[in-house]
Parts: sequence; structure tokens; C-alpha cells
Amino acid sequence: MDFISLLSPEYFLLAAAGSLVGIIFGAIPGMTATMAVAVCLPLTYSLGLHEGLALLLGLYVGGISGGLVPAILLNIPGTPSSITTTFDGHPMAQRGEAERALKICIVSSLVGGLFSAVILFLFAPLLSDFAIKFSYVEKFLIIFFALTVIASLSSNMLVGIFSGMIGVFLSLIGTYDVGVGGNGEYRLMADFMVPYLEEGFSLLPVLIGLFGLATIFLEAERGAKDEVGEKRIQLTQGTPFKLNVFRGQFVNMLRSSSIGTFVGMLPGIGGSAASVLAYSQQKNFSKDPSKMGKGAPEGLIASESANNALTGGALIPLLSLGIPGDSTTAVLIGAFTLQGLQVGPLFIGENLDTWYSMMIGLVFANLVMFGIMFFAIKHIAKVVMVPKYVLYPIIIMMCVVGAYAINYGIMFDVWTLLIFGLFGYVAQKIGLEIAPLVIGFILGSSAEVYFVKSLESFGTLSIFFTKSPIAIVLWLMIAASVLFSVYLALKARRNSKSRAIEV
Amino acid sequence: MKRLISGMRLGVCALAAAVAMQAAAELPSNIRVVIGSKSTGGDTYQSSSIVAEALSEKLGVNFKVDATGAPAAFKAVERSRSSDGSTIMVFHDQAYLGVLYGQKGYDDPFANYSIGPTFAINPGNAYLVSKKSPYSSVEQIIDAAGNGETVRVAIQPGGVSEIGYSALKNAVKLKYPGKEGNLTPVNTGSQDSKNQAMFDGLADVINGSVQSNEQYTRLPADDQKAMSFVWLTAREQTIAQANEDGMGKTTRADLLKFVAPNVQVPMAEGQDFTFDKEFFFLYNKDIDPAFVEAIDKALGEIYAEGKIQEMQKKSFFIPNFKPAAEARTYLKEKNDRIADVINAIKG
Repeated sequence: MDFISLLSPEYFLLAAAGSLVGIIFGAIPGMTATMAVAVCLPLTYSLGLHEGLALLLGLYVGGISGGLVPAILLNIPGTPSSITTTFDGHPMAQRGEAERALKICIVSSLVGGLFSAVILFLFAPLLSDFAIKFSYVEKFLIIFFALTVIASLSSNMLVGIFSGMIGVFLSLIGTYDVGVGGNGEYRLMADFMVPYLEEGFSLLPVLIGLFGLATIFLEAERGAKDEVGEKRIQLTQGTPFKLNVFRGQFVNMLRSSSIGTFVGMLPGIGGSAASVLAYSQQKNFSKDPSKMGKGAPEGLIASESANNALTGGALIPLLSLGIPGDSTTAVLIGAFTLQGLQVGPLFIGENLDTWYSMMIGLVFANLVMFGIMFFAIKHIAKVVMVPKYVLYPIIIMMCVVGAYAINYGIMFDVWTLLIFGLFGYVAQKIGLEIAPLVIGFILGSSAEVYFVKSLESFGTLSIFFTKSPIAIVLWLMIAASVLFSVYLALKARRNSKSRAIEV
Repeated sequence: MKRLISGMRLGVCALAAAVAMQAAAELPSNIRVVIGSKSTGGDTYQSSSIVAEALSEKLGVNFKVDATGAPAAFKAVERSRSSDGSTIMVFHDQAYLGVLYGQKGYDDPFANYSIGPTFAINPGNAYLVSKKSPYSSVEQIIDAAGNGETVRVAIQPGGVSEIGYSALKNAVKLKYPGKEGNLTPVNTGSQDSKNQAMFDGLADVINGSVQSNEQYTRLPADDQKAMSFVWLTAREQTIAQANEDGMGKTTRADLLKFVAPNVQVPMAEGQDFTFDKEFFFLYNKDIDPAFVEAIDKALGEIYAEGKIQEMQKKSFFIPNFKPAAEARTYLKEKNDRIADVINAIKG
């Protein structure tokens, strides 16, 4: 129990401060948990390992959680993994239930975060042994599985799949990076574009452009006149938050937290896949899937419990294999290396004090995140009451600053934001579906890498079906997900036809 | 008396600060250090942070390390073509290996940039096999390839990760001409993909590092993840400078078993191939010679004080200060020597 002596008041203070700063980073469109951790990493030099880790864990948990605020209030995912929070969160905010949506998300985030911390604590070495059974083939199938959400998210399945394909193609522009096993060649661009697109379009500017800026352009076209009088959003207009909203959602929460933890522990899959998978599975299992995407609390619960469960999940391979599970833990590993500490399969056994103090830091950061957000929410939710002609210019400015900062000052990222804002505006005008397009963009490049590497490694397409029992299980899940989406689409069409006949 | 002493202390501090300020007067107050890696958990960031911290302290200038990755870093240095050194770069041998291997996004650093001082070596570049592998030494690997077996080596192509593979291939060619094709690359990316390639049975040998893989070498042989070092590319005298404790529970004496001449990868008659991964500064072509001199001088003093060496060794780096002019000559020679190996296997 030597580790208790390591837990000084500064330790807890730093974890709490980290959570607060992380929430602010996550809540500002364009700023991410990864950025928060990267900015504060040099501080760990002077803080020492345990205090430094407490700060970084706070930033990590706060940063991931803070993303839900702009997702709900502004329809801009604060972090890529809160993309599915926009689907139901923003419709709720628009009908005056912003506070309720925020509180549902915060409770779900806490449950997801704590669930993954418990799993990390109890099963880390065991799960890391399971994680290494996922080779290129299984990782491709997981991403393919996540891509099936496109079918269930689309209002018109063909247009949705088409939009998703555009997203995949856009994600492939740039160098086929040797860092992921590629050949280093440029693709899908003319020579004059090389200086700008060498590394492709950056994820976050694309995301914020398509979601945030496009919405602002559409609103601008409509004008601010409908904001006055009774049409203006009121905070207490809709159903108030009550804990009974979670009644019947236990399985959803458990499944989504498990998906989040599981995806987090697979290096190279990416955090966004967790919330996308959890969301699509909830839609498949929902009693009334037609409500999802229109402001259903169950969608928020799935999305937020999954993306916070990522935190513990991504720490599993970091602490039991020395391999970061996501982009933020890849920065976190810097805190260890800066202190000259090795992470690997023997890390936990050889550094029990650090391990215990990290676990306490993780749980504490989750509790602080909950405390800060739950009680500050009344004030945060008031953002929706700010007149749009005041709010939108501020948001655009913040997005521009965030886009410029995301890769340490690349001006093309600002152009990317604006180009995709306009593209999102036009795409909606001509009937393309934005959510499938974005999901295609987020998952496309990983899907390509794992697909190509599978073929390079095994030399035959049949390997996708015969590689392992895990692959077969994944195929069954993919088939079930697709069939269920088709069934839902047919049912919706039948319903709308019969409604039309009744009229 | 106490007051007098504290008064004198204050005076000395003020004088020191004034001297530092004067020295700093010729330098920008903020210097951005872009690095050739996007990772803040890797050796480039770590070694750059150590040296940037020391320079900040010495010169009273704020050095800020940004992990931009190679193409963006080269562009940033190129873009700020001002001579004042407000944006400088830190990278390692990859800067010229990228050119030798024909990687996109790399310009000849000797022709297009000004080479700055070297300051550290990462001695950890390693090659490993599974503990269940039929091969337990480099000699066996070379012989297996020479006798017609296909030996698959997981690397990240186009740089530091590939150079050891190129040297192994060259060694097969020297001993068994025409058989070098039996040593084949498995192109993976990050360290976890290389490890995974071994776990999946897709690679017989993987490129790794002492820092990342040491714990894997201590796992019991029946663990799927267990590995053994077969070769460290560093020179013997480089590893000999590491702390006696080595890395993790693998001591310096243990590590020395895996370097030349204990492990031989012939490069030419009577000459073994070795490779130290060395970190150095890169400036833009128009850099003010006074800036170059100021950094050289500051680093000279920092290394003379001896504190930075302790810090570097604690993080498993080998101190390696060479002023800019010396570094340029040395790295150019190294570039030419490696180009010979790459050209030999091309032909």
C-alpha cells in the first residue's frame, strides 16, 4: 500500500484541474483531448510522474467528455468520438431539452468511464492477450461492421451508401503513409495539390466543416428572423431531466460501455468507431428505432457511454503491451518516456505503485468530470439562448482558431474547414447525407489499410471468411446488422405508404 | 552577515541573468523546434525535449518543441527562411535516409538545409525473433536465407527501420551471392504492427527497439508474445557508454552481446555494418552563422557542465555533441557509407 503515500493533495488537485481544463478543450470546437494532453505534456517534466499522470488523465477524461457540449448545443462534435452525440443531442436541444440531453450524456459518460476503469483494473493483462488475436483481417471486419451503421443512419439507403462512399474516397486523398504500412505514394490528387494535400485532409476540420459550418450556412440562408418571440428556444420548454430516463437502458449502457472498452483496447481502430458501433447496435436493438436520430435519449446513452469507455479501454494495450490504444494515449505514452519509464507487458507487475495511482487518478478524474459538468450544466446550456447572429460568428472564429492549431499551425487546415463547410451546405442542398459521408471519411483510411494489408499478408480474399472463429462471428454480426437495417427501411417505407393511403 | 550573503547572492543572480540576457539578445525570444516525428511518445520528441529544456535554461530563450512530422517540419523550416533561427528542426538519420530510399516529402538535407549540431544517439535500434523461432542468431538467419529458406523481416520501409534489413540483405548477398532475394520485407508501420506481424506468424524477424521490446524479451518462452534480441545495430562503443543498468532488467553487459563484433553483419571484407541513430539540428539554408555559432557555443557549455549527459543516459540516450561543421562532415560520410549498402543490394 506504498502508493497511498504518493497520493498527495497536489495529486488530486492536478487531476481535478486536468478534468476542468480538459472539459474546456473538449467543449471548444476544434480543440480535442489529444491537444489538451499534448499541450500539457511538457509540464510533466517538472511535476514528477504520478502528479504528471494525474494531470494528463484528468485532461484525457475531461477532453473526451467535454466534446458532448458542442455536439448537443451547436451540432458540432467537439471531438470526433462525439459525432453520434449530435444525432440525438442537437434535436433535443432544438426542442428545448438541452439541459436534459446534457445531463443524460454526463451520467452516461460517468458510467462508461467507470465501467472501463473497472475492466482495466481487473482484466488488463487478460484482455491484452485477447486483443493481439485481432490481426489485420479482424480489424478490417470491425471497421466494416462499424461502416454498416451507414445503412441504418440513412433516410434513403442508396443515397446514404453513395454518400458514405464519397466519404471513404475523400479519406484516401494524400500519401499512402509508410507509417501505417503503405508505399508512401501520393493518391487521388493532381501534382499541384501535393504541397497542400500531402497528408490528406485533417479529420477535425473536415468534421467541423461538414457539421458545424454547413449548419451555420444553412441557418444564415434562412436568416435570424424566426428567433424572436415564441419560436426562440427555451431551456425549460421540453421534458425535464429525471433519472427514470435510464429505466430500461441498463442493457444499452452495459453493451455500449463494453463496445467502447473493447474498441479502445484494439490499437489502430480509432475512437470514433466505438461510438458509431454502439449507436448502430442500439438502433438495431431499439424497441422503436425510428425515433433514433430525432432526439432519443437512448442514442445519447449509447454514444456517450461508449466514447467515455474508450478511456479505460485505450489504456489496456498501453499499460499491458506498451502500445497506445488511441491518439490521446499515444501522447500519454510521452509522460512515461519523458520520465524514463518503460511501458510493456511487464509494466503493471513491475510498477504496482504507478498502476494503482493511475487507477485512482482515472476514477477520480471521472468523478470530478461528473461533478463539474453536472452542476455547471444549467449555465452551459444557456449557450442555446444566445442569439444566433451573436453566437455563430463566435463559433466560426473558434473553429478557425482550432483548425489552425490542430496540426501546429497549418493554414490549409483552415481552408479545409471552410471548403468542407461549403461542401456540406451544397451537399445537403443536392440531397446527399452528411452523417454517412462523415462516417465514411472517419473510417475509410483505416478500412483501406487493413483491407490491403490483409490481402498483402495472406494473398487471398477468402482469408476474410476463413481467418479465425472471431472473423466468422464478426461476419455474422455484420450480416445481422445489414439485414436489420434493410428490414427497418422496408418497414418505414411500408408505414409511410399506408399513412399516405389513409390521408 | 546573513543579509550580506543573501545580498551577494542576489547580486550574482542578477549579474548571471544580465549576462544571459545579453547572450540572448542576438537570438529570437521564442524559438520553435519542429521535429520530424508526429509522436510525442517517441525518441525524437523525448531527445528534443531534453536538449530544448537545456538550451532554454542556458540562453534564457523559450524553445518550444512541436511534433509536426517530417514533411510539415521541413516545410516549416523552409517557410521561415529568415536567418534569425526562429524556426529550427530536430530530426535523426531518417532526414537523409528518406532521400536515399526515395521517400516522398524528403529533400536532400545536405544540399537544401544547413546541418546543425548532433546531440544524442538512440542506441536501441534492434532486430528480434520469437522465442519459438528456429533462428536464434543473425548468423542462422543469414545462413537460412542463403540456403533457400524465405526469411520475412517486418520493417517500416524507407528509413531507419529498413537500414538494418538492407544490411542483412547485403550480408546474405556477400556470403551467398544471388540468394539475397530470400530475405523479404514485410512492410508494416508502427511498432505494434511489427509486433503483431510476429504474433500472427507473418514475420520471422522484426525490427524493434530496446526501449519498446525489452519487456517482451523477459516473457517466458511459452508466451505468444515472447521475443529475443538477435541484433542491435549500434556500435559497441556506443552501447558501452550506456548506464551499467542498461534498460529495464537487461543490463549493459547483456546488450553488448548483441552488437558487433559479437554479432556480425558483414558489409564488406573484414568490415561489419553498424548503425547509430543520431539526432541533430537542421536549419534553413539562409541561417545566420552567428545563430549557428550561438547554439554550438551554448551546447558546448551545456555538455561541458555534464548535467545533460546524466539526463540523457537516464532516458537511454547516449550523449553525442558535435558542433555544426563537424556534424555536417560526419553525417555526410555516414550518408555515403549507407548509400553504398543500399546501392549494393539494388544492383
